Amino acid sequence: MTRNVYTVGQVNSYIRNMFTQDYMLGRIYVKGEVSNCKYHTSGHIYFSLKDESGTIACVMFAGQRGGLSFRMGEGQQVVVFGSINVYERSGSYQLYAREIRLDGEGVLYEKFQMLKKELEEMGMFAPEYKKQIPRYPKRIGVVTASTGAAIRDIMNITKRRNPYVQLVLYPAQVQGEGAKESIVRGINMLERLGVDVMIVGRGGGSIEDLWAFNEEEVARAIFNCQIPVISAVGHETDTTIADYVADLRAPTPSAAAELAVYDYHRTEEQLKEYELRFSKELWQKLRIGRMRLEKYQTKLGYLHPKNKLREDRLKLADIEDGLRGRMDAVLVSSRHRFQVYAERLNGLSPLKKLSQGYAYAVDEKGKALKSVRQIQKGEHILIHVTDGTVQAKVEEIKEGHHG
Amino acid sequence: MAKAKEEEQTLEELFAGLEEVLGAMEEPEVSLEESFGLYHKGMNLLKYCNERLDKIEKRMLVLDEEGEVHEFDK
Repeated sequence: MTRNVYTVGQVNSYIRNMFTQDYMLGRIYVKGEVSNCKYHTSGHIYFSLKDESGTIACVMFAGQRGGLSFRMGEGQQVVVFGSINVYERSGSYQLYAREIRLDGEGVLYEKFQMLKKELEEMGMFAPEYKKQIPRYPKRIGVVTASTGAAIRDIMNITKRRNPYVQLVLYPAQVQGEGAKESIVRGINMLERLGVDVMIVGRGGGSIEDLWAFNEEEVARAIFNCQIPVISAVGHETDTTIADYVADLRAPTPSAAAELAVYDYHRTEEQLKEYELRFSKELWQKLRIGRMRLEKYQTKLGYLHPKNKLREDRLKLADIEDGLRGRMDAVLVSSRHRFQVYAERLNGLSPLKKLSQGYAYAVDEKGKALKSVRQIQKGEHILIHVTDGTVQAKVEEIKEGHHG
Repeated sequence: MAKAKEEEQTLEELFAGLEEVLGAMEEPEVSLEESFGLYHKGMNLLKYCNERLDKIEKRMLVLDEEGEVHEFDK
């Protein structure tokens, strides 16, 4: 008898393969009561689902935690979406959770996921279709119930931020039978009336209460609306199809009003600030202009002919001084030279010789008497001596020879 | 013509216009004459902005099934 013997690994891996190939086990919703729930420090969550018949081990890895929007606790009735597979190390199978919802939401949740996927694939959530929300709308349409927290919140916030904005409400039925038709009609009618922006939403409630905003008709009405739509459904944590398809998602109706209604006082302040900035800028320019003017004035003052004249006059005085100085120097030196000549002349003066006993004679015509032939007997001569002249008459003339 | 154009502009466009004019005014090489022109333009834009700011308080209107609007009474 031949027997095939397999290793534990082979068996486990064989079984694992069977699980993996199973279409149903790959995508499955399982409901049950939570027990043995442990939040591990690694971020993984280990728990079991149980019902009257038994339990199944479950794990949600840290990377999948986005699929859990509440704190899981013992005894909760939940629907877990994930895959069932084998954990080879212990030879056991477990549910690998990707999304966990509180039960009751299970069926709706699945519908929600399907529609979301479908619309997303059609491109209805694409950012290129999102219309810009006008910053300063004058008329804001609101599609919500005329009674309830949502419209009161929107009215209060509008009154506070900008009481001059016109709200136009379409009182819609937001839950129960006929809700989606009512919301769609509201959107269409406000579009026809013509508002600048529209808020479509309602206050918080259970997933069933919010369901109208997960309907395809509502999503299409929002998508086709030519006027920008802000969705405002429930609380922060509730996200509906309407939120995905809207041009802007507000977490709550109050937040939608904050987003749609511009703050009047701030806008007024902004205008004042602009005025101030303009004035400041102009003053600045004027100040700079004035400074430049002053600079030119000073410069022009320098260039005034009066200044040129004064300068020339000074220059002239300088030249005059120079001339005078030079002239004086010439005079001084001439005088000096004259003195020197005078001295020398004095040294050579015949009068000097006369003082030593010589005399100087001139004839009647004043010519120096140098020769006997120059003179006749009886003529007068003038004899110069040091202290005067002597007039004499020629008595005799003798020619002689001097050695 | 330019005036009519500005009067049609939304507040948002007017604000953008204001920023643009201010930016031009802040240029250091802009002349005093140009500055006066820009200042004048800015003041006009501000005037349009102020005119654009509606100062009449509104009561919420309610749209009925026939498309008629009524005042909302709480």
